Amino acid sequence: MLTFYNISKVFNTDILKKSFTALDDVSFNIPEGKIIGFLGANGAGKTTSIKIAMDFIRPSSGTVEFGETLRSNKNTIFDKIGYLPERPFFYPHLTGKDFCYYMGALSGLNRSTINKQIHFWAPRFNIEFALNREIKGYSKGMLQRIGFLVTLLHNPKLIILDEPLAGLDPVGRKELREIIVEVNKQGTTVFFSSHIVSDMEEICHDVVFLKSGRMIFNGSVKSLIDKNTKLENEIRFIHDGQLCVKIISEDKKLAFLNSCLSQNDNIISVKRVQASLEEIFYEV
Amino acid sequence: MRFSLNSLKRVLMISHYTFKEIIKSKILLNTLFLGFAILTITYVALSFTYGEATKISLDFGLGLLTMSSIGIAIFIGVGLLSKEIESRTVYMVISRPVKRHEFIIGKILGLNLVLMLNIAILSVFTYLTYFYIGGVFTSLLIWTIFFIMLESLLVLLLVCLLSLITTQTLTVIISLAVYVTSHGIHTALKTSFTQSQPLLEQLLKILHYILPAFYKLNIKSFLLYQQEIATSYLLGASLHTLFYCLFLVFLCIYVFKTKDLN
Repeated sequence: MLTFYNISKVFNTDILKKSFTALDDVSFNIPEGKIIGFLGANGAGKTTSIKIAMDFIRPSSGTVEFGETLRSNKNTIFDKIGYLPERPFFYPHLTGKDFCYYMGALSGLNRSTINKQIHFWAPRFNIEFALNREIKGYSKGMLQRIGFLVTLLHNPKLIILDEPLAGLDPVGRKELREIIVEVNKQGTTVFFSSHIVSDMEEICHDVVFLKSGRMIFNGSVKSLIDKNTKLENEIRFIHDGQLCVKIISEDKKLAFLNSCLSQNDNIISVKRVQASLEEIFYEV
Repeated sequence: MRFSLNSLKRVLMISHYTFKEIIKSKILLNTLFLGFAILTITYVALSFTYGEATKISLDFGLGLLTMSSIGIAIFIGVGLLSKEIESRTVYMVISRPVKRHEFIIGKILGLNLVLMLNIAILSVFTYLTYFYIGGVFTSLLIWTIFFIMLESLLVLLLVCLLSLITTQTLTVIISLAVYVTSHGIHTALKTSFTQSQPLLEQLLKILHYILPAFYKLNIKSFLLYQQEIATSYLLGASLHTLFYCLFLVFLCIYVFKTKDLN
């Protein structure tokens, strides 16, 4: 659906200052119909990549290619993409509803379609009570919600979200996660960056992992975890009436289990020790 | 850069919401305040002047009108595009099927509508007062307002262009400097001091050709002193300004299209 081919971006902020490489030969693919997480520490180049995908900034080298579903013409591509920036800030004197009408109209929707969409999504985002208020009175979470709502107004095929879960309370995060999963089930591809790794692990099929402007992983969450998990097992058993827990490597597992059985120990569970995505993130 | 009906719709949509956003920021309260200032000043001036009341009324009215429209063009115009980029609201718009030139034309059109409304309201205050105290109609009354509109549009475009390539503070300083220089340069070229300094004269002549010709749009003295002014001059100055505006619009679009929106 969206492919990055050898994208590099060098910023020359000042003539007197050294240039800064934000992205270095980054290539990855966003397959259709999946939820893809964009992982990386602060300054890894996630937002820069998203800005390049959205044509806000141009790459120093490399190309971005949109798939057949989005077509190759600029207008039709952006007709089918929904985008939510990081720390969204909208027109303060417009009301939430005005803002929805504005964004919907720019996507070519008529008033009645926009109203229908607002009636459908506003209760889901718990924002209907604030739609007639000026945006300047919105909290950070409310801005995030109204931003997400306008992102979905035109039923996009691909949504690109930059830190959509930042600034939300746990309940809000859960609600937005559910909406992401729901729109994905309806056929929308979701590509989003986040620092909240546990959320990604819960809902993402694939991840793209950036480190210091370089791509270090692009694939399924499971394969990333498998790749970074040592082959160890946690064995719980009862020995002389006491519960014991032993961590044992895969190659010694069978021998250990045999010795337990020969001593008439009661084996309760054998579980593979698996690192979480968050642990892998910190480790990397 | 192509225009279609849909393109025009998007431009009008952007200008509509830009207009709405600025109007809701209560900028017109300032206009109404100035309108009542015109009435008050004229009332006070009537007590102090004899036989010159209409002239004083027009002078104050048109002066305040020019100052307020140039003020709005500079101080609101400076944030029109740069604030959109800084606060990332521009991302929400151009991530839709909106081309960059549609965005910039829509934004400029929206603020220009605010300027026109401001000028229209203050013109009503000025001319109603003028006619009430016995002023007579002349076509220059219309031309003066038209030229103030052109002048504020020219300032707005200059400010928009500068705000895309430099900081907001520098934009305000440079815009004010260009405005003042352009008004003064025409007179400066006629002074004997300038004519006695060939290098200075050459430099001023170059600036005279490059800078927007704001001095051409100042026809208030013709109106105040009831002097004749040739129609060819009025048409020539209008066309010159319109072409300069068009040139600035193209420059704005070019800079905005090639700019990284960081």
